[in-house]
Amino acid sequence: MEAFLEGMTLLADFNIITVIFIGVLIGVVVGALPGLSSSMAVALLIPFTISMEPVPAISMMAALYCAGTFGGSITAILMNAPGAPPAMATALDGYPMARRGEGGRALGLAAVSSICGGVFSLVVFLIAAPWLAKVATSFRPMEYFALTVFALSMLASISGRSSLRNLIAGGVGILIGTVGIHLTTGIERYTFGVNELTEGINFIPVLIGLFATAELLNQSQTLHVAYERVTAAVVKLPSFKELWSLKITMLRSSCIGTFIGILPAEGATVAAIMGYNEAKRWSKTPEKFGTGTPEGIVGPEAANNAATGGAMVPTLALGIPGSGTTAVILAALIMHGLRPGPYLIRETPEFVYAIFGAMLIANIMFLFIGLGGAKLFSRITLIPPAILWPAVFVFAIIGSFASSSSIFDVWIMMISGIVGFVMLRHGFSPAPLVMGLILGAMVEESLSQSMIILDNEWWRLFESPISLLFFALTAVSLSWPLIARRKPKSSPPAGTDEAAD
Amino acid sequence: MPSSPASGSGRVLVHRVDAVLALALLALCGWLYYVSGQFDEPSAMLGDTIPPEFFPRLILWFIGGLALIMPFEHRVIPGAAEKLAQGREKPVAGMAYYSIVLLVLIVASMSLVGVALSMVFACFALPLLWGERRWKLIIPFAIFFPTLITILFAKVLKVFFHPGLIGFTLN
Repeated sequence: MEAFLEGMTLLADFNIITVIFIGVLIGVVVGALPGLSSSMAVALLIPFTISMEPVPAISMMAALYCAGTFGGSITAILMNAPGAPPAMATALDGYPMARRGEGGRALGLAAVSSICGGVFSLVVFLIAAPWLAKVATSFRPMEYFALTVFALSMLASISGRSSLRNLIAGGVGILIGTVGIHLTTGIERYTFGVNELTEGINFIPVLIGLFATAELLNQSQTLHVAYERVTAAVVKLPSFKELWSLKITMLRSSCIGTFIGILPAEGATVAAIMGYNEAKRWSKTPEKFGTGTPEGIVGPEAANNAATGGAMVPTLALGIPGSGTTAVILAALIMHGLRPGPYLIRETPEFVYAIFGAMLIANIMFLFIGLGGAKLFSRITLIPPAILWPAVFVFAIIGSFASSSSIFDVWIMMISGIVGFVMLRHGFSPAPLVMGLILGAMVEESLSQSMIILDNEWWRLFESPISLLFFALTAVSLSWPLIARRKPKSSPPAGTDEAAD
Repeated sequence: MPSSPASGSGRVLVHRVDAVLALALLALCGWLYYVSGQFDEPSAMLGDTIPPEFFPRLILWFIGGLALIMPFEHRVIPGAAEKLAQGREKPVAGMAYYSIVLLVLIVASMSLVGVALSMVFACFALPLLWGERRWKLIIPFAIFFPTLITILFAKVLKVFFHPGLIGFTLN
């Protein structure tokens, strides 16, 4: 309780409220713009936060994450052009509702269900994170190795075009992480005599290249795509009666989203798809889905925002990212000198509670910002791509350069961008590569420690019941994509094979 | 949107593009495996520890093993053919190649003209390449936007920008 109050006290600072507001504003704008994503925005924001204290820095990023997930629904509803992958399912019923003149009502439903899902998941976060961290403090390196292998195996079921390619991308990310000095032996690996590689490849330029530059190159191929826009009238909050009639859908989707968010590597996109599908499955009028039914908006929106709080649970409690964006936030935590995992909660619990408070404030803020500025935010899409994307590239250059004042890092960003562009074209998602990059060091470290403890008898990794459980879950998650595709299922929303958020 | 799933009977066994990708991945894995054999030996004082090449080789085997499946993925994994075809129906647009060349030139120019001027160059050249011709938009954008960002980082965040051989510095 003391730590909770201390965490809340950290937020009672005008500067922190201001940075949360800025994070929400950036998040809604970025979320609304097709092509830009929360992951990209957080990656580009990291260099701006170098000189900030950890609490305001991470609060701003967490606020951006919450708001970005909601921001995508604005353009999804008004233009059928989801600004963020998690909003793809929202467009299926949001846009038809807007077309028949109820855009304001659709936005209101999206906003309220987002806030409900977000707050629900934060309550779960408040309970689950400390409990999970307490359990994890008893983990030995063997259990940690099994946990990180399980987290990496979840890449196979992350949304994207191919589970196989997600795993390959994850492996490539791990491999990139081996560049530099091997901490156990002091031997240089894959440095090729380049001094700048001795300390490894800086992950910030890689993140920026994969998310920002690669998308810039992708966008260069669709410069003349025009979107039909529906003019939104006044945004209307749904009545209490309407909300009450949707309470079961909202609660169910919030639970789904929170659970999906807690799973390593899954995120808001998967949560939104499942939220939509389950809302349709349990609806009394499933035939109305796709024509502008309120359940078709509430389902995915409650789920995708619930996933944001859920994703922070493993990120802060275990040091394992719950989604693509939290992988970037994890990188930011490391950059700020924090050690995400059970020891973070044990040693600085007030920090974790401060993040919880920041996300709660962000959820409330984006309700007002989103509702008040929905029409304005939808007009942001009028910025010509030929101006918007060079601006993104400037941020990418600055972001890559600023962390170490090194032009070499800008080259790393450029190469990552080209590789990311090729990856996107051939069905490889950038999010798994980022996960691999972040988790790779943890996997190697825990494996090395395990082998030392077990005297190189690797079969004893399976002795621990907890390790055995995680390895069993690994086998399930690796085979799930094959099992799921063989089972008949309700058709997923069209075009929902984008990479995870 | 891709057309409805076709039965497997009309599709080739090996997807040509994926076979090329797989070969490239395997070649890369093979080369990195060879390079890992050139790592220095750890000191004997460290005793019986995991050698530095163990983990990278483990990952290389993992990647290589999965890469072998790639050319057959469209046949082996249900639903993969349609998903993999998305985004690959059309060839890469020429504008993407031009953009890559321009971006590389911009980054290469940093050593010569400095970070700040190269960003101005980016804000000027990229819109022009992408077909923007409203000079009243381009010129203020190319001058003011990178300047503001550079000032923010140089003065507020104290980042030092390399002036390059003929560039300038704000610090």
